[in-house]
Amino acid sequence: MNSTNAANAAAMTPTPRRGVGRKNMLERVVAVATLVLVVVFSFSIDGFATLGNLRVILSNSASLAILSCGMAVVIISRGLDLSLIAQMVAGATIFGILISSGVTAPAALLVAIVAMVVFGFLNAWLIAYVEIPAMLATLASSMFLVGLLRFAILRGEFLLLLPKSNPTVAFLAGDIVPGISMPVLLMVATLAATWFLLNRASVGRVVYAMGDNFQAARLAGLPVRTSTIVVYVFSAVTALIAGLIMAAASGAVDFRTVTNGTLLFDVILVVVLGGIPLRGGRGGVRNIVVGVALIAIMRNGMTLMDFTTQTQDMLKGLVLLTAIVTDNYLNPRDAETDTVGDL
Amino acid sequence: MPYRLGNIFRTAATAVLIGACALIGTNIVAQADSNIAGKKVIFVPIAMGISLTEGWARRMREHAAVHGYSLDVRDAAFNTATMAELVAKAISEKPDVLVVHNPTVQLLARQIKQAESEGIKVLQINLQSNQPSAAFVGANWERIGREIAEDIVKECGAGSGKSGKVAIIPGQLTAADSVIMNEAAFKVFEQHKEIEVVSNQASDWEPEKARQITATVLQQHPDLCAIFGHWDVHTMGAGNAVKDAGKADSVLVYSTGGGDDVACKAVEDGIQDRIWSYDADGQGRDAGTMVDLLLQGAATADGSMMIVDSPMKIIKAGEGFDPSLCWKM
Repeated sequence: MNSTNAANAAAMTPTPRRGVGRKNMLERVVAVATLVLVVVFSFSIDGFATLGNLRVILSNSASLAILSCGMAVVIISRGLDLSLIAQMVAGATIFGILISSGVTAPAALLVAIVAMVVFGFLNAWLIAYVEIPAMLATLASSMFLVGLLRFAILRGEFLLLLPKSNPTVAFLAGDIVPGISMPVLLMVATLAATWFLLNRASVGRVVYAMGDNFQAARLAGLPVRTSTIVVYVFSAVTALIAGLIMAAASGAVDFRTVTNGTLLFDVILVVVLGGIPLRGGRGGVRNIVVGVALIAIMRNGMTLMDFTTQTQDMLKGLVLLTAIVTDNYLNPRDAETDTVGDL
Repeated sequence: MPYRLGNIFRTAATAVLIGACALIGTNIVAQADSNIAGKKVIFVPIAMGISLTEGWARRMREHAAVHGYSLDVRDAAFNTATMAELVAKAISEKPDVLVVHNPTVQLLARQIKQAESEGIKVLQINLQSNQPSAAFVGANWERIGREIAEDIVKECGAGSGKSGKVAIIPGQLTAADSVIMNEAAFKVFEQHKEIEVVSNQASDWEPEKARQITATVLQQHPDLCAIFGHWDVHTMGAGNAVKDAGKADSVLVYSTGGGDDVACKAVEDGIQDRIWSYDADGQGRDAGTMVDLLLQGAATADGSMMIVDSPMKIIKAGEGFDPSLCWKM
């Protein structure tokens, strides 16, 4: 069977039981916890249950949701992309430098997209063809990318400032129509693209097959190597989109987000809390939405309650532990789920 | 009070010492050249690659070149574990002077004590540790916190017709500047009950976190009067959130910083309104001079810490805006 036929065969097989049954108990627990938090915050925090605050929640969580789309697709294929935040900062840096030096926005965007596609391809090549474990390959490529950009392009600087006076920067951070901002629109578009990739494209079926049993997928003749390329290139492009909106909104590209920040852990937290197991093979857009919703609601509520950053980190960790313990109790491990990499 | 008097006395004594050196400039340089050439100085900043530390290093290198001593810069790249390792390694190399930029009041306290006990003179720059050492050159954070708080009271307090609501965005709650500025500011606000601090959340020095905090707080308190960011770099994010919310005319954005040209650009663009600059370029020169003095054996009579307070420049938006207050690398 050649790889195209195998992919078609995979596409014709019934969709795996994603999002239903005992396997997604964590997703349900987290969804219920989110709803409980919304009700509690609505009654206890002044200004929480308003339309304006909903817009702030959506706008503040846009980059996290977009990054989570990229990470979720990688994890479903039983991979891991530790270079996601480095790619986000790299894409925004390339775009920022080009528009600051007078290059038109479409040309700058095109260069940034090409650079990210090349980087995603290199990650995939290391993983699929050189056969380096995803965690090590993306960790090393992340270090390489940050070092290259800081010392070869930014000449040691940690920050690249993007003035709001630049019309492209203002466009990326502003409203498309009153009440709907560009970051929110891009978040919805990325979620839709992720849904399409996982549910309507034939590569989506291969991604689930790779996550379920990589060796079986390969032995069945599925195009696991080209699918790996699609997965990591998709991840790189989501990182670029997240980088653009984050840089435009805050007016800065900050390399400390890679070296010192907790964003990568937040992204993995969203994916895991949403119910996508690190061993892959299960999950979808609904899981991403559930995970992002919990983190975004918690972050917003805790900021409104004036909790310190350290307290917020502690509570986020506590929620993660509670969710996993609850899931473990409601969904005990059995011969199928107790595999390497399972949470 | 005796402590404060002591501080004032030490500051005055150090200023007189520096002034005297400047007055008899050429003789001192010639003498210093012969005395301190070949000595070793190690500088461990929180991170290079920011205008503040690059500005200091540039001026200190100039002094090292003039006097013929070596200056090694060891970049901790915003990593506190790396910083502790770099300082430990620097101590093992027995430099004549060690210059440290403390990320928190506690992190390097034990190592500063160890270095001093081994005869290495430690100059703390801009951010002070709990542990005193030979010298400190940097901003007077108590004064900055107090002055900004007093300005906020003037703009947002009784008789201003404003809500009196203030959001504070420190860098880290345990960083020396944040600790001291918050103490000073709250002391002022406590005397003005009309001022209400509605938010006091650290941004970890990141513009994006400052932006998200500000966007959320503005939603809950649309009548917010002022934001006090503890560093102009992360306050860029807060200022952008204010601008995006269309409140640039009603919310005053205050910050502090090294006063490079980026600060003036932020004020010019209406991202920030008032920046208390401690002039990193001038600090670099002061630090270089202090290193020269330490290498020549300068010390206070009672062995207490020599202190040089950085003069302030206040960069304000509006008619009085003066871009010449900022320096360029």
